[in-house]
Amino acid sequence: MSKEPQIVIRKAGRDEVDFILSDVELSLANSLRRIMIAEVPTLAIDLVEIQINTSVLADEFIAHRLGLIPLDSEDIDELKYTRDCTCEDHCPKCSVTLELKANCEIDETMNIYSSHFIITSGVGNNLKLGQPIIRDPMRKGILICKLKKHQQLHVKCIAKKGIAKEHAKWSPCSAIGFEYDPYNKLKHTDYWYEESVENEWPKSLNSDWEEPPIPGEKFNYNAKPDKFYINLETTGVLNPNEVFNKGCNELQQKLANVIFELKKLDQQSNTDDNSNINGMDSNINNTHNINQGDDYSNNMGRRTQYGGGGTQYGGGETQYGGGYTQYGGTTQYDDRNRPNRW
Amino acid sequence: MSGVKREREESFDELLNPVYKGKSLTDPINTAEDKWNLLPAFLKVKGLVKQHLDSYNYFVDVDLKKIIQANEKVLSDVDPDFYLKYLDIRIGYKSKADPKQIEVLYPPHECRLRDMTYSAPIYVDVEYTRGRKIIIHRDLEIGRMPIMLRSNKCVLNGRTENEMAYLNECPLDPGGYFIVNGTEKVILVQEQLSKNRIIVESDDKKGIVQASVTSSTHERKSKTYVVTKNDKIYLKHNSISEEIPIVIVLKAAGIVSDLEVLQLVCGDDSVYQDIFAVNFEETAKLGVYTQREALEYIGRKVKTIRRLNAPKLTIIQEGIEAIASTLIAHLSVENLDFREKALYIAIMTRRVVMTMHNSKLVDDRDYVGNKRLELAGQLMSLLFEDLFKKFNNDFKMNLDKILKKPSRASEFDALLHINIHSNNITTGLNRAISTGNWSLKRFKMERAGVTHVLSRLSYISALGMMTRISSQFEKSRKVSGPRALQPSQFGMLCTSDTPEGEACGLVKNLALMTHITTDDEETPIRKLCYILGAENISIADSSTLHTHGTFGVYLNGTLIATTRFPNKFVTTFRYLRRTGKVSAFVSIYTNVHQSSVHIAADGGRICRPLIIVENGIPKVKEDHLRKLKNGEWQFDDFLVNGLVEYLDVNEENDSLIALYEKDIINATTHLEIEVFTVLGAVAGLIPYPHHNQSPRNTYQCAMGKQAIGAIAYNQFRRIDTLLYLMCYPQQPMVKSKTIELIQYDKLPAGQNATVAVMSYSGYDIEDALVLNKSSIDRGFGRCQVFRKNTAILKRYPNHSKDILAGMRVNDDGEPIWQHTALGPDGLGEVGMRVQSGQIYVNKCVPTNASESVLNDNPQQQQQQPQQTHRDQPMVYRAPEASYIDQVMMSVSDNDQALIKVLLRQTRRPELGDKFSSRHGQKGVCGIIVQQEDMPFNDQGVCPDIIMNPHGFPSRMTVGKMLELVSGKAGVLDGSLQYGTCFGGSKLEDMSKILVDKGFNYSGKDMLYSGITGECLQAYIFFGPIYYQKLKHMVLDKMHARARGPRAVLTRQPTEGRSRDGGLRLGEMERDCVIAYGASQLLLERLMLSSDAFDVDVCNSCGLMGYNGWCPTCKTSETIIKMTIPYAAKLLFQELISMNIAPRLKLGDVF
Repeated sequence: MSKEPQIVIRKAGRDEVDFILSDVELSLANSLRRIMIAEVPTLAIDLVEIQINTSVLADEFIAHRLGLIPLDSEDIDELKYTRDCTCEDHCPKCSVTLELKANCEIDETMNIYSSHFIITSGVGNNLKLGQPIIRDPMRKGILICKLKKHQQLHVKCIAKKGIAKEHAKWSPCSAIGFEYDPYNKLKHTDYWYEESVENEWPKSLNSDWEEPPIPGEKFNYNAKPDKFYINLETTGVLNPNEVFNKGCNELQQKLANVIFELKKLDQQSNTDDNSNINGMDSNINNTHNINQGDDYSNNMGRRTQYGGGGTQYGGGETQYGGGYTQYGGTTQYDDRNRPNRW
Repeated sequence: MSGVKREREESFDELLNPVYKGKSLTDPINTAEDKWNLLPAFLKVKGLVKQHLDSYNYFVDVDLKKIIQANEKVLSDVDPDFYLKYLDIRIGYKSKADPKQIEVLYPPHECRLRDMTYSAPIYVDVEYTRGRKIIIHRDLEIGRMPIMLRSNKCVLNGRTENEMAYLNECPLDPGGYFIVNGTEKVILVQEQLSKNRIIVESDDKKGIVQASVTSSTHERKSKTYVVTKNDKIYLKHNSISEEIPIVIVLKAAGIVSDLEVLQLVCGDDSVYQDIFAVNFEETAKLGVYTQREALEYIGRKVKTIRRLNAPKLTIIQEGIEAIASTLIAHLSVENLDFREKALYIAIMTRRVVMTMHNSKLVDDRDYVGNKRLELAGQLMSLLFEDLFKKFNNDFKMNLDKILKKPSRASEFDALLHINIHSNNITTGLNRAISTGNWSLKRFKMERAGVTHVLSRLSYISALGMMTRISSQFEKSRKVSGPRALQPSQFGMLCTSDTPEGEACGLVKNLALMTHITTDDEETPIRKLCYILGAENISIADSSTLHTHGTFGVYLNGTLIATTRFPNKFVTTFRYLRRTGKVSAFVSIYTNVHQSSVHIAADGGRICRPLIIVENGIPKVKEDHLRKLKNGEWQFDDFLVNGLVEYLDVNEENDSLIALYEKDIINATTHLEIEVFTVLGAVAGLIPYPHHNQSPRNTYQCAMGKQAIGAIAYNQFRRIDTLLYLMCYPQQPMVKSKTIELIQYDKLPAGQNATVAVMSYSGYDIEDALVLNKSSIDRGFGRCQVFRKNTAILKRYPNHSKDILAGMRVNDDGEPIWQHTALGPDGLGEVGMRVQSGQIYVNKCVPTNASESVLNDNPQQQQQQPQQTHRDQPMVYRAPEASYIDQVMMSVSDNDQALIKVLLRQTRRPELGDKFSSRHGQKGVCGIIVQQEDMPFNDQGVCPDIIMNPHGFPSRMTVGKMLELVSGKAGVLDGSLQYGTCFGGSKLEDMSKILVDKGFNYSGKDMLYSGITGECLQAYIFFGPIYYQKLKHMVLDKMHARARGPRAVLTRQPTEGRSRDGGLRLGEMERDCVIAYGASQLLLERLMLSSDAFDVDVCNSCGLMGYNGWCPTCKTSETIIKMTIPYAAKLLFQELISMNIAPRLKLGDVF
């Protein structure tokens, strides 16, 4: 495939973009989808200091609700991951602090919304980062809890940078629509039907963007999907284009890491054929250092570690190999006995 | 007040609103479909637990007065002039007070929290003599009566929703239970064989036919049998030593001539006469011809159990006594007129003769019409009468003791002596309800397990408990009859809701629209029968009794009259009942085989309302339903106007009931109000149950009670031993009319999960579920667990008492780690986290609690003050930390400080947590998968749960599939769909919606793999299904042990998770290890890791010694040290203690 990937944007809104990604492999398109869901860093409330909570809801209950409030993460790059920060617990460089003080002194029930939050310490002068996303026409935001007269809720929330692999609250996407081959020309799926596929399975809207199959056309078993209809819908924490861009960046970085590790491995195997356990350890340490930008996946998502580490284990296999042969011996012994028994 | 009342009923009014479920008043009324509105109207009047409330109300309002009347006077054996007479009895209000204002000390919720009994005083008015004067004393409190919640003596009766909230009560709580010592207790409905009715049974193997009747009166219970023995008929009774020939009994009862006996028993039927004739021979042989001879014969056979000082009776008196009061005890004899009793025995005999002739005429014990349900009120009344009798007895004894003394300083006032025992009634009632042991002295009856703690696991479990019926049959007996589903249960008892296992079929549940009758007065009905032209039996001629075409009229099982025109009699009677002249719950039916008309007015019959059909036209018309919708009419108006009537099981058998309006034919007498009322409240939760295999519905009935959800509106105010709550419960997408009626949609227990039916990852075999991690992150299946811990600060006789010590601090002034959660008062602070090993109540008990105050050793007392108290804190022990949710400090009944600490855990679903759909399909979470790895559809919708398709073929839960399709249509349409039994949203309509929204009509979708992005080759059944999280969670079950406690006696590791026990390598596992030959492993598992013990064995005598010394041989030379299991050593010693000497013979192995 020599063609460059292409994008046709069909519809773009504040929280949604509908585009056609064409001339890419299925794997790449899906990787993008996966990364956009799970690995684009955003900001979300992670620690909640409950100062007073006399509402009907339990502390953990409210903390969980707070965590799921979408916070503006457009300038998330200005923020470090807490684990990469030099501070002990959290600091303005790696966190945004929001506060909420609600006292109900009226006779009716008082509703506490996410718009009542005040950012008390942000990154520098950036007031946008960490602002709760408000999308309802009344500009109230998300309902956190309700208070009766004399009930109070004072909380200090520390929002941190994170990715959705750890917790879904960090996901910038609410849903990603993903479709290819609306006519099923590639025969990737067998439609279930009683009388006819055409009548029973409704056509997707994306089928207008493709040539309908010519009846009696020969099945091209070499054809591969190359046109993907993607509908990216965000929670509002990031613009859809940013989600896409950052997704691409993340993917590039991951690939770069793999390439880097592979190269290093090549060099190493040239210099030192007999890699030993110690060598392996140091290698893993190296991975840590290099991957700082993506250290997260080292800790949580095991993929990178496996990617890098896998090769390491491959190196070590010769060593274990000796052991395997020994065991192999026993297996052989067993095999020899088997015909006699059965 | 009317405005207030309106508000209270708003929940039901919603159902009757002008616009409800898309239907408005102006819409045309279709009687066929809208007649179901009678059901909410019924429930509005009756409620779901009305049977309990009705029965209790009857008890406190009517039955108590009857008991007082029956035990009216207390007389003295010493002073014949003395008497004390009870005039009236009232629960909860004084004679001059307003009966609506019940004096209860504390509202119910406070009783729950403070471990008290929710009760009201029992006031009696008495009239008694003091010297020459007659004194009337009003409002004498003789004890306290536990009050059933929501009964008419309860403070919650007639409260609006707001007032309920003010009292911390949940308006949806059904009531019908008691609060005794802080626990909610239900008196389960007890099922029994009906009393005072003849039951004919036969044993084909032994060739025995027997008619029996259990007579039950206020004083005694006894059973009389008429049995065959060698084709002759005898009468049998417990207090008569041997069987008595039936003719002798009849002669003793005044039927002297053989001809009359034959007429009464056989009529003019020669076949019956032939069968019966042999009995006359027997009597003739015994030489009994006259009534006197017969009475003497019986008198000789009576077992005399006389009280100590009762006068001895002559033989003939014994005989008269036996006939008058022992046999068929529920018929009372006046002026030695035995005719009624003779007739009763003759009828029993006739039934036996008939059955001897035709063995098909036996009665079915399992037939619901032959059963009576005993409710809280009846049981309470039995108990109260017993206690009241004891109370009076004690009072009388006390009285006599004092009156015996010849001289008294002041005039004797009986009242001063009545109060002494007043505690007996209170404690007696409380103890019976709290332990469930009903012991009635006068019936010599002991019944255990009558009450149960109301299960508050979920709203449904509480509701299910209130409709539960327990049977008297033994659970262990392997009989199928009582357990089988009886056709007569239709509409009365739920066909699905019964437990599995040993109680299967014995524990039943009431159907949705049932009513249990209370006793009605017999006398007016008896009079009515005579007015309607039936001939009084006492003046009827014996010879005409059984002539062809003569029907006996039986009232509550007793023959009271005869009629030649049974049909006219029954129709007129029914007409009178429909017009409200006779109680609606009196049933009348004809039995052609017995040529009888039975009228039943006794309590405990199950009945249900049906629409009356006359001449093929149902009486309920559009106009009436419109009035119901407008709120002009209530359910009772339908009853009063004769449009609807209650039928009990027996009368149902006399009717032809059409299920639907279209089924009505000319002979139809009644029309079903709504078909789904065959199911009960719990089975009503299942969507499309009529499409499921029936055991699945039964499984769901058991599981619905374990589902975690919302419990009540006051759930956060409650302090229960264990409380499970779901964080975000949802009402089901596919509901049923029952769900709305029992308001499950307001207190739901589950969430609508998007389910993909496909296999994924292999971690979904054996019903395991795959859960989406992001769904869990967002709150799916999240629940809170509350656990109560109680501490009581005791006071001791020596004036010392338990105290709370403050927290201990270290050098820096910080509290020590164990005391982190404590406040300065020594109690855990609300909101603090407690970890395993930390203390949440720092209680200290006095060291000298057992010492007496009178200890006359002043020196010792002076020495002590340094260490007066010893720590006895409450330590938190659990694998996971908890948070302190509530701390309550109060004073309980006995003036001791009561501390309750409620600990809370919030749990997200984890591997091994149990979930279930509403179709008896349970499964544990097998793997939790990242959202990006989950399959998704072209719109990006991911499932919350992936379910393995193997769950479907063998379970045949088609209802679940329909739920999915309807749910999916509802989601796309933005509407809630119905899965009501025998109705609900139609699949065609649902498919139509799916197609309109661009989906396949079958509910199947094309999904993409989240891992590769490729579309899956197979179509996937994909949509929302309501899932329940069940209370079984891994966190409560996980257990492992390396080292730990051992049992004292055997020194083997303890058993069970609660004792941190070991995991047993059982016999079968042992067998495997033996077979494999791993002897060292066996040794290690069974001895070294368990109870290895070093013993000194003497090689010469073979007995065990100690310290290298054999006490038997008096030597240390032959001692050999070896290791044996401690249990073996114990066995040897126990054998020695019973004079068996186990000698060990030791030999070298190598």
